[in-house]
Amino acid sequence: MSHFYHFDTISLHAGQTVDPEFGARATPIYQTTSYVFPDTDTAASTFNLERGGHVYSRITNPTVSVLEQRIAALEGGSAAVCTASGMAATFCAITAILSQGDHIVASSQMYGGNVSLMKNTLPRFGITTTFFDPMDIDGFRNAIQDNTRLIYGELIGNPGLDILDLDAIVEIANEKQIPFMVDATFNTPYLCRCLDYGVNITIHSITKWMGGHGAAIGGVVVDGGNFDWGATDKYPTITEPYAPFQGINFWEEFGPSAFATRIRAEAMRDFGATMSPMTAFLLLQGIETLSLRMDKHLLNTNALLDFLSNHKQVSWVSHPSLPTHSSHALAKKYLPKGAGSVVSFGVKGGRDAGKAFIENVQLASHLANVGDAKTLIIHPATTTHSRIDAEALVAAGITEDMVRLSVGLEDIEDIKADFENGFRATRKFADS
Amino acid sequence: MYFDVKGKRVFASTGGKPFDNSKSCVIFLCGSGLDHTFWILHSRFFAFRNYSVLALDLPGHTHSEGPPLKSIEEIGEWLKDVVTTLDINNISIVAHSQGVLNTLEYVSRHPQRIRSVSLIASGLATPVNPALIEAAENNPEDAIAMMIGWGFGPAGHLHQGPIPGNSMVASGRRVMLGNVPQELATDLKACDAYKKGKEAAAKITVPIQVIVAGQDRMAPRKATAELVKHLDNPEVHLIHESGHMLPQEVPNQCRDLLKYFIYANNPAT
Repeated sequence: MSHFYHFDTISLHAGQTVDPEFGARATPIYQTTSYVFPDTDTAASTFNLERGGHVYSRITNPTVSVLEQRIAALEGGSAAVCTASGMAATFCAITAILSQGDHIVASSQMYGGNVSLMKNTLPRFGITTTFFDPMDIDGFRNAIQDNTRLIYGELIGNPGLDILDLDAIVEIANEKQIPFMVDATFNTPYLCRCLDYGVNITIHSITKWMGGHGAAIGGVVVDGGNFDWGATDKYPTITEPYAPFQGINFWEEFGPSAFATRIRAEAMRDFGATMSPMTAFLLLQGIETLSLRMDKHLLNTNALLDFLSNHKQVSWVSHPSLPTHSSHALAKKYLPKGAGSVVSFGVKGGRDAGKAFIENVQLASHLANVGDAKTLIIHPATTTHSRIDAEALVAAGITEDMVRLSVGLEDIEDIKADFENGFRATRKFADS
Repeated sequence: MYFDVKGKRVFASTGGKPFDNSKSCVIFLCGSGLDHTFWILHSRFFAFRNYSVLALDLPGHTHSEGPPLKSIEEIGEWLKDVVTTLDINNISIVAHSQGVLNTLEYVSRHPQRIRSVSLIASGLATPVNPALIEAAENNPEDAIAMMIGWGFGPAGHLHQGPIPGNSMVASGRRVMLGNVPQELATDLKACDAYKKGKEAAAKITVPIQVIVAGQDRMAPRKATAELVKHLDNPEVHLIHESGHMLPQEVPNQCRDLLKYFIYANNPAT
């Protein structure tokens, strides 16, 4: 009988061939720009996608490829392309299939960078976006236009933590023959493999939980290999000959990895948003312990939810694991292990109290990141989402008293003690 | 490219170059439930070496119109129809797994235009466990898991592979999911029913190459040895470090063997 390796084994081994020369067990860092060809025929065939191999590290690199193949394996995707950042992954993925005059339907509950890309930057290139409330499936359906070429959302929306109803959106996406791309950063494949639900493409900022140590910036696009690009004439970048590669037709020749190959052939070459081999090495070290870390993140998150929910200085707590959250049922369905380790809460006393809390915690770090091994806090209205307008802030569910917390791996009693110090400083605002 | 054979639409990848029937031609035939993408690297290689290439989707598979053909004999005749429809001469056939049975049947009956045959990872017959056929009909995900699980060697299971960023296992699964339940089950039944391999092999007189995978669990070396025994003086090559999916697991070694054999027996025109 056949045997397939399980998640933890894949996290440790997938994509890596043990170094044949010296037997290095860790993935070597191939810190090189380019690769010596043994002969001209090998050079020509590698350039022309007739043989696997590496030409130039802007396009592919052996260390980065291990990371790509490992993430593809963890996600159940046919191929993956790593990029310099999560935002680079999003941009490369979108521009691989959309051109001037095309339209995106995207969730309104997204990271500010994603919102800004779609609201401010892509329109300059003729690509427009209609945002939908992720809890309003009818509104989502109605937002689809004749020129809609992509449906986009974050499974766990940032920072409101609303959960996308994957089944409902996949059904409509399939009916309309439009690919569904999900930013899966907050869930990681350990909590939910979106491709298993029929999502076509996933994006990750692997800077976050996948890497997990706040040491390296990186992104990845995973091709689910499950979208029929040739079913309509809507996706000519995939289904028509591509002149810069001698008229290659990605869909005809590469089938399940057509989309990833297009990104490799165009975005990595022309945009050059490349991940460095050192970064790939650092992120690989993180992925080796992904499940262990996620379990501890969830353990601490649950304990902290209990602590915050019962704290007299806290006005509200939001997390999909709580029955009061509007996405609680969807979280139980799609994220049975847990709905991630980002928690939003309000401090009694409003904006000033929130500020006092953040300035008086010591262990939790005040910075613009999530998914670190360390506990992180931030005030979204003045930082991560400061560049979007008031209307969009409301649409994203952001309030002025909101503190966003990314629960780390410290001993939970130390996190609680640290928060008590923060809350002590907020009392005067709550009482006034 | 698409073309019609007896009123049915057929798809074949031409390796990124327009098909030209005046050139020497390499026809690639894949195994059960798979399609032209199995030959991505090999088809491009020969297409860009002045050969015309056809990596065929069998009827009912991926882009070719159905229904799937129910026997190896029918597929052999369909291959003859493809060749006569396109009026191709000077043909080298490269076949893997079930494609080998299809080739034995076709070439033994219609050898006139064939210049060489390369047979990869197969025996004279492919008996299929009834449980696998039953799964293909009723629980195709299970059947695909069995085939992918047995098909790939250790490197495939660790998602290693020659194309940077690609997972061979996941890509193969996606292709097969597009060809279930009808096509996969029909292919497997056709393999299981085919008993004429010995007779067909003995009739083939063109140059033959056999490539054997050292870690093949679907066509074990004993079965391949039986095939070799009944062929007319074949060149035999063993690649130790590959499973059944040899053209994908070790494409560079596979291509080098194909290249020298086809160059020698069917030069590009």
